[in-house]
Amino acid sequence: MNLRTPRGVKDFLPPEAEWKLELERKIRSVFHSWGYQEVISPTFEFNGLFTQDSGEERQTYRFFDQNGDLLILRPDLTTPIARIVATRLKDEVKPLRLSYIANVFRYDEVQVGFQREFYQAGVELLGSSSAAADAEAAALAVTIFNDVGVGGFKLDLGHTGYIQGILAECQSPNTRQKIWQLLLKKDLVGLRNLVITSDLPDSIKGLLLKLPHFRGRENLLEQAYASAPNQLAREAVANLRQIYQFLNAYGLGPQIEIDLSIVKSLGYYTGMVLEGYVPQVGFTLCSGGRYDQLGQRFDSHLPAVGFALGLERLMLVLELQGLRPEAEPNGVFVLPHSWPHALDYAARKREEGIRVEVDTEGRTEAEAVSYARLRRFSRVVAVDAAAARHVPLAEKEDQSC
Amino acid sequence: MLRIAVAKGRLLDSFFELLGKAGYDCDSAAQASRKLVIDVEAADLRFILAKPADVPTYVEYGAADLGVVGKDILVESDKHVAELLDLKYGLCRLVVAVTKDSGITKVQELDFNSRVTSKYPRIAEEFFNSLGIQVEIIALNGSIELGPMVGLSEAIVDITETGRTLAENGLVVIETIMESTARLVANRISLKTQREAIAALAGALEGVV
Repeated sequence: MNLRTPRGVKDFLPPEAEWKLELERKIRSVFHSWGYQEVISPTFEFNGLFTQDSGEERQTYRFFDQNGDLLILRPDLTTPIARIVATRLKDEVKPLRLSYIANVFRYDEVQVGFQREFYQAGVELLGSSSAAADAEAAALAVTIFNDVGVGGFKLDLGHTGYIQGILAECQSPNTRQKIWQLLLKKDLVGLRNLVITSDLPDSIKGLLLKLPHFRGRENLLEQAYASAPNQLAREAVANLRQIYQFLNAYGLGPQIEIDLSIVKSLGYYTGMVLEGYVPQVGFTLCSGGRYDQLGQRFDSHLPAVGFALGLERLMLVLELQGLRPEAEPNGVFVLPHSWPHALDYAARKREEGIRVEVDTEGRTEAEAVSYARLRRFSRVVAVDAAAARHVPLAEKEDQSC
Repeated sequence: MLRIAVAKGRLLDSFFELLGKAGYDCDSAAQASRKLVIDVEAADLRFILAKPADVPTYVEYGAADLGVVGKDILVESDKHVAELLDLKYGLCRLVVAVTKDSGITKVQELDFNSRVTSKYPRIAEEFFNSLGIQVEIIALNGSIELGPMVGLSEAIVDITETGRTLAENGLVVIETIMESTARLVANRISLKTQREAIAALAGALEGVV
């Protein structure tokens, strides 16, 4: 029998599983405190739900069911939530604030913190197109990372409207597409070669070459506004400025930077885009933005904004920052010299929320002590008809039981 | 301190030379080339000496902020890194070559029975696919010229500067897939977090290439 696991999946053994669940509890409680309600969507859907209009083929897990329908393991949660909102929650009062913590599946080459199955936590704020909603999504992203203890978290904001504005000055759809791809790949050498040999106006050439370096703090917005070639680009900057002002009001201004070079896959995001990261760690921790047109495929015209973070990446960054919690010894290991009394004692302790394990193997006290140490219990208690007696576990120890 | 992944060997000397011209004195590192990690305090740079094909990996994972690597290797690796600058040295061509005796003069003459050995299986596959030519790609790690000589393959995809090694082994070039030069690449997050230092270095290098 083959006992290996397929490439791209992994087990979470008890210490990691415990830690992951603890992080999820924290994230969930932040989502909850911001008014987001969790949804649980199916692990697989009809393949057609995820078909991209842009023609970009995503690497996904697909299979046929017995009716011959092509099904897909969800590669994200944003699309199923858009489906839910377009159908079952169609008549709900808007805006809707929904959250999720779930596993997703992508048949990509395994990247840092992204196995082929990995966990995402995220929110979608649907039915609002206000800058305040954009800012709320961004502020919630920052708050999550701050609250779980990540140090030095930064969030970069960009805007698809700015790049679209610049590209609108370019006549050839073919060139537009190529420039977008080069910006997406961050192939600045290729971009320069293309731009220099193109017949674009000099001002647009200059702007395209400057764009990859358009990042900084609030003052960058003035520079970007002055360079904007048209109304579309100017509106994008004005929108970002508003969002930035809201984020200042949240008190999060110092953690926000502007990066107008953020380019995401074509035809998905329609406004603000965001990317979170920490120094010294070479990958993004969360990503998202405004996507007003996703619902159109389901005849739903709800504007929406959201973000998702990768839980494994979050765990990795906490580990790299030395913030992985050390599992302290805790709980009681019970030696049942009298079963009825021991079970009664265990039940009372369990009700207090204390972790209790009752010996089922007839261990001696010495055996119980060494077992309890391995399992990281803080106490061993022998219970007979007369009393619950504390068995010394180590030299220095907690005497209360 | 900026961390730069560089490939050992001939191209490294060209890079140190270029850095010197750009005002980053790294002569001390050029002398210490047996070490794997070399710090040059004066220039505030750390060099990570890696295998050429591994440079994009160090950069993608953020173990290095910057990397210097040939465009050929960069394309083959398909890693998510930002390509900042063409350093314009280390010029070579990635070519398709066959044995002189085969009489083949165009890639179109290769057919579905043809086997192609290469250190660049991804690029080779992509190239033949784009022409609608179905060949079998066999990945090798070195001495690619051996393939046709010992009957492992009918053609090779490999880099060449002058074509001399190919000619010495009885091979002729029938197609150039791409030209390659050394590139300065960057980790995408380092571009944000080390913005000023990277811009300064890239700017200084751009002035001297």
